[in-house]
Amino acid sequence: MNFITNLIGGLSLGGIYAMIALGYTMVYGIAKMLNFAHGDIIMVGGYTILVFTAQSVHPLIAIALAIVFCVGLGVVVERVAYKPLRGASPLAVLITAIGVSYLLQSLAQMFFGSGTKMVTGLDLGSFNIGSLKISVSTIVTLLSCIAVMVALNLFVKYTKTGRAMIAVSEDKGAAQLMGINVNLIIMITFAIGSALAALAGTFYLMRSPSIYSTFGSLPGIKAFSAAVIGGIGSIPGAMLGGILLGVVEVFANSVSAIAPYTDAIEFAILIIILLVKPTGFLGKKRREKV
Amino acid sequence: MMKFTKRYLSFVLIGLVMLVCGVQGSGLSASTAYLLEKVAISIILAVSLGLVVGFLGELSLGHAAFMCVGAYLGGKVSQLIVEALGGSQHDSNFLVLILSLVIGAASAGLCGFIIGLPALRLKGDYLAIVTLAFGEIVRVIFTNANVFGGAQGMATPRFDRKYLFIIGLALVLATIAIVQNLLRSKHGRAITAIRDNEIAARATGINVTKYKLTVFAVSSALAGVAGVLYSYANFNLQPSKFGYNYSIEILVMVVLGGMGSINGSIIAATLITYLNTKLPLILTGELAVLQNLFYALILILLIIYNNAPALKGFREKYNFKNLWNKLFKPKHDPARVRDDAARWDVVPTKIEMNEVLSTDVVIDNFGDNSADIGERGGNK
Amino acid sequence: MKKTITKIICLALACVMAVGCFASCSGDKEEFVIGVSGPVTGVAAVYGEAVRNAAQMAVDEINANGGLNGVNFKLVFLDDKHDAGNISTNYASLVEQGMQVSLGTVTTAPGREFTKYSAQDNVFFLTPSATGDDIPGTAGNGYQMCFADGDQGKVAAEYVNGLFTGNKTIGILYNSADPYSSGIYTQFKASLASNITTIDAAFTDDKLADFSGQISQLASCDFIFMPIYYTPASTFMKQAKDIIAPNATYYGCDGLDGIDGSIDGFNISEIPQEISMLSHFNSKATEGAAKTFIDNYVAKYGKDTLSQFGAAAYDCVYAIYGAMKSAIDGGKEIPSDISASELCDILKAEFNGGYTYSGVTGSNITWGTNGKVQKNAVKYIVKAANAQ
Repeated sequence: MNFITNLIGGLSLGGIYAMIALGYTMVYGIAKMLNFAHGDIIMVGGYTILVFTAQSVHPLIAIALAIVFCVGLGVVVERVAYKPLRGASPLAVLITAIGVSYLLQSLAQMFFGSGTKMVTGLDLGSFNIGSLKISVSTIVTLLSCIAVMVALNLFVKYTKTGRAMIAVSEDKGAAQLMGINVNLIIMITFAIGSALAALAGTFYLMRSPSIYSTFGSLPGIKAFSAAVIGGIGSIPGAMLGGILLGVVEVFANSVSAIAPYTDAIEFAILIIILLVKPTGFLGKKRREKV
Repeated sequence: MMKFTKRYLSFVLIGLVMLVCGVQGSGLSASTAYLLEKVAISIILAVSLGLVVGFLGELSLGHAAFMCVGAYLGGKVSQLIVEALGGSQHDSNFLVLILSLVIGAASAGLCGFIIGLPALRLKGDYLAIVTLAFGEIVRVIFTNANVFGGAQGMATPRFDRKYLFIIGLALVLATIAIVQNLLRSKHGRAITAIRDNEIAARATGINVTKYKLTVFAVSSALAGVAGVLYSYANFNLQPSKFGYNYSIEILVMVVLGGMGSINGSIIAATLITYLNTKLPLILTGELAVLQNLFYALILILLIIYNNAPALKGFREKYNFKNLWNKLFKPKHDPARVRDDAARWDVVPTKIEMNEVLSTDVVIDNFGDNSADIGERGGNK
Repeated sequence: MKKTITKIICLALACVMAVGCFASCSGDKEEFVIGVSGPVTGVAAVYGEAVRNAAQMAVDEINANGGLNGVNFKLVFLDDKHDAGNISTNYASLVEQGMQVSLGTVTTAPGREFTKYSAQDNVFFLTPSATGDDIPGTAGNGYQMCFADGDQGKVAAEYVNGLFTGNKTIGILYNSADPYSSGIYTQFKASLASNITTIDAAFTDDKLADFSGQISQLASCDFIFMPIYYTPASTFMKQAKDIIAPNATYYGCDGLDGIDGSIDGFNISEIPQEISMLSHFNSKATEGAAKTFIDNYVAKYGKDTLSQFGAAAYDCVYAIYGAMKSAIDGGKEIPSDISASELCDILKAEFNGGYTYSGVTGSNITWGTNGKVQKNAVKYIVKAANAQ
């Protein structure tokens, strides 16, 4: 009984991690950068929802507005902070991303204060199967996560833009020669990643409605681990890694002796998996040329 | 002359600071002495991380964990010794300090060796996340270890506080000497060769395994030294201090100072520590929230300014060296050939071997492959 | 050499900062300087802001009423980001800015550092919210306005022992990585009667957004002790409201204060369970000094940061003011340029000599020679269980 409750809890948390990890993996696969600010886009999405629901806008419209706002923010950040550094050392881009992360967090603290706020109106209630209580948001999270994964996979494989993304991730120079507008493709990738982050923020808030300025950093790191476990750049891999981490986290938290070690366990799993499979579960092996 | 300034300027400057502040002794204000301790810790951390990131070319996001291990084990050992000798905690003397430094360095070095093992198998960002994960695991373990006080923290050993910063600066000098000597030897050449192209380095007979493990061990042992220093500079150790945020702060110092530049790391570490300590004094009250905002903005602007390919021409035209030359060396002497040996510490970018061996194509408006052959050839 | 411009910019910036510092360092000594260090950025910022606001409010009120015999007070608050490593320089800067008396730190971990430094210099401090058992230190210069963790754990355990006579299993939700929470937890467990067994659900991050593992552990409990701050507690309650029995009781310590009202959007009436706490202050007080404080605070700073942190800080300032006044009435001289050490001795004599203070967080408050506060801890029922 407890097992099933935990499993459901884990799947729903895993779905959220997977959603964030999908964004991470898209951006990493194509722009080849660790976007440390990805978690903070989630936070911005959350605050946008907070602002609009407080104006008693319908939650669905608020979510849509949050997605639009995050897409805009993602594109602006990419243009202003990351694009000038294209071609520079990956570390420089990483540090810029960290800078953007600090920037977004301090802006959030300036505008919304340091206290925790709660978003209302996202609670979808719950239903019973026998004695089992399942909240609607769990179902919504899982279903939309699968839908997003399938859609992304189809998008990348069968649309022109998607194919162009694969080309850019393989070889930017060659893609450019083939007439692909690389800058545009990278911008689209950031837009998609930010939209996913906003969605993940929504699901997070459905689960537990508290929001604060460092809201995104821990889920960001966890989801990044999930993306690495699944094999960075792989869409099903991100899903797999996210679900795995979510389930492990909830189960570890539900045993009192090991609950204080939950984070350590999750990260230990990451290390072990990487030692056995250095590119994650579904990551592609790349042969190095000399 | 150029060679001398590059190699020994940092020694001279730090030595001067030591001398001036040491002579002043008790006249030095407490906040300056404490600030100097902090700066010393930051410099040791930044220079040692620079060894891994700038010279070996591996990204590590868990440097604070090595510091944590050094701080806890070094501190614990000296505590035990003092207890065994029957003295109170306040009697920690110079010998105990040395011993705890050795223990801290050794234990952290061992951890570095262990984390270096996956580094043999993992590359780039995968290694980065493993080091981050390792750092978090260390933090969680110390949070739950009752031997070390758990979440309540551990009381640390004491040393005459008035002179701790002198010891700190002496350790900085030792760190720089160790790192510079390592890099200037043939081993250093091997390490930078691994960074530039691991496969090519292997092909020339360099023992990659040995060097990677050595660099990881040395770098983390130095971080352990910084940890012991930290434990002496504070009354109480908290595991929460050593999270990934602190590792990232150290990484920022390294990158801001310029990859593969020891002097750069020293300057960046000093300035960032100085700003972090002094900003809260200026931005008080409602303005406090601006600290992080300024920090973030300065960080982003500096990184873009320093690294953006589009600004390369601007950077080359208007820089400190040109200004210096203009003011103090009116005539540029063409006989002064650039000394290759003097350039060992500044190798700004990785050389992509497959690009060298193939024909590069010039593509407009796009950074990655746009370097033309002439420029690359000129670099070598 | 491409980094050189960076260096110049940095140096220039540093110079500006240095000048700024010197500018702020100089000042004429016509007032009493109260120093305090607390987090106003980072994860614990909300607690530091509460202390800063409330202490400033108290200082402003005192000054508006003519100060202490015409001498005004001045509050110097430095940000420590909840990092103990910042205390060495913060403490030194406070001393250099003329600190004569202090409120210590806002949180426990930095407080341990502060205790040691202030003991060396014999600087009197009365901390509003650093609850660690060892915060007052052994030198006799440190005092607490809040209950110490161990005492809270003990009193809470005694309350629970009295509540259940037969065999009983209760739940505990605590943050194993937080000194405050784990400190209360340890003492609570140690003082619990043998007929009571516990289910311990730990978490490690106050900002944890997901409690489902902990909730499934505690699902069968109808009494849950939660020695945690109100921020994680609100998240937990919201997530657990349908799963944990609606007639269950959540019982917390003073960290729980603020649960009702300080969190925007958190409607406490949505939570069916009973919420009660052992505290010295209730943010929903409707009468007395607490009511006046709450009204003034909310009017000035809003309700976002209102909690017992602020109330205790407000009391700290007034308690120090009162003690100085009583010392002057008793014939002591306190000039405005009195040294911190001399003032410390005077205040120590007052606090150990039967000085009582009545304010927002209790009346007839006295202090033991060990620096621990002696006042009534009241069990506040924040919200009764909803009738089902």
